[in-house]
Amino acid sequence: MRGRLLAIAGLVAVVASAWLTSGATARPSATPPLTIYAAASLTEVFKALDGAQHFSFAGSNALETQIRNGAPVDVFASAAPLNTQRLFKAGIVDKPVTFTANRLALIVPKSNPAGIRSIYDLRSKPVKLVVAAPAVPAGGYTLSVLRKMGLSSVLSKVVSRESDVKAVTGKVALGQADAGFVYVTDARPVSDQVSVIRIPAWAQPRVRYEIAVVTKSPNKTAAQAWVRMILSAKGQTALKHAGFLPLPKASS
Amino acid sequence: MTRPLSRRRLLTVAAGTAALAALPVRPASAATEEELAYANFAVSSELLLADLYAKALAAKVVIGPGQAALRAGRRAAIQHAGALSGLLTGAGQDAPAAEDFDFQWPAKAFHTPDATAATARVVLRALHGAYQTAVVTVSEPSYGIVYTSLAASAGQQLGALSALGASGVVEPFPVALDLESASDTLEPYLG
Repeated sequence: MRGRLLAIAGLVAVVASAWLTSGATARPSATPPLTIYAAASLTEVFKALDGAQHFSFAGSNALETQIRNGAPVDVFASAAPLNTQRLFKAGIVDKPVTFTANRLALIVPKSNPAGIRSIYDLRSKPVKLVVAAPAVPAGGYTLSVLRKMGLSSVLSKVVSRESDVKAVTGKVALGQADAGFVYVTDARPVSDQVSVIRIPAWAQPRVRYEIAVVTKSPNKTAAQAWVRMILSAKGQTALKHAGFLPLPKASS
Repeated sequence: MTRPLSRRRLLTVAAGTAALAALPVRPASAATEEELAYANFAVSSELLLADLYAKALAAKVVIGPGQAALRAGRRAAIQHAGALSGLLTGAGQDAPAAEDFDFQWPAKAFHTPDATAATARVVLRALHGAYQTAVVTVSEPSYGIVYTSLAASAGQQLGALSALGASGVVEPFPVALDLESASDTLEPYLG
């Protein structure tokens, strides 16, 4: 009799355990995925961090415009504080926070047909240069680097101004341009197709990424939790592994 | 229109940062990009130099007159960075700040007075070389005066390194460096 009771108790425990386990795993799918608008340079790292959300990656300026025009978005991650701060001032997003930083680099195709070894070579060699458009954060940072180094004259060699930094990376990787300015993190996924030419530390712009929850998000609690995840050790480690810089000293 | 240089104006330049701030430089917004490129490099390098002196003082391996030389060098580097930052902000550019960098030093850079002097010499020579070239590159005479003053200070600091006990090095013609070469020399330290 005692043996039968123990067997029944054991069965109940197994069934209860299975029910609880299935409940625990089913829970995330019950939560609707967030809609996250993010700078194109965050494509690989955000997808790797959380593939369950709906992402839209593009130039931060284009995403800002869409959010301003009422696109249904929960979280916005921008490659420049300018875009998030403008939306914050308009009451469209909650207070943005800085969550990572980056550096700019010059990339050339592996075959390097123009023979570029240094950013200064852009002055003297005939090159087809591709950059992001000035309104795109990467484009603005490019202008800043060239101005700081006294090299704005090389802009006369620009053959294409792209709508986001991934388009710049793509054109150089495919050999459609001799050189392009991108973030160092953009060069990593195509490291077999491009070579990276370092930009001096003294000429680097302050590339700061900000993230904010959209004020009218219907999933605000989940959106806030997602932002916290990006700021957590897990999120920061993933960003670091992707080549992003740690939180800047002033904002950490 | 540029006024001719008077002895008084030159002495004003030599008087240090306060005088530097009062230099009759033309409005910074009219500065050329090349003039500002040297200023951008120089601010970063002077911040690097200030960090070097601070680390050398913190290491406490240099004593006596050498320590005084380190303190004076640090003061000068901070004043230079501040004055050059003013030129940049006046031209509408963001001046580099110490928090923009993660300065890197060789493991034993400050273990002995000799090592400290050797590290400082690398940084000072690059700065001195860049300032020499800046003097002849800039189109505005008042900027030339600034860079001449900065080159002289870098030369004085190189001389003061002998106070660290290291053998003095007197070069008859210190090498002038273009911005690219000076930048390449300091890049490993700027992080």
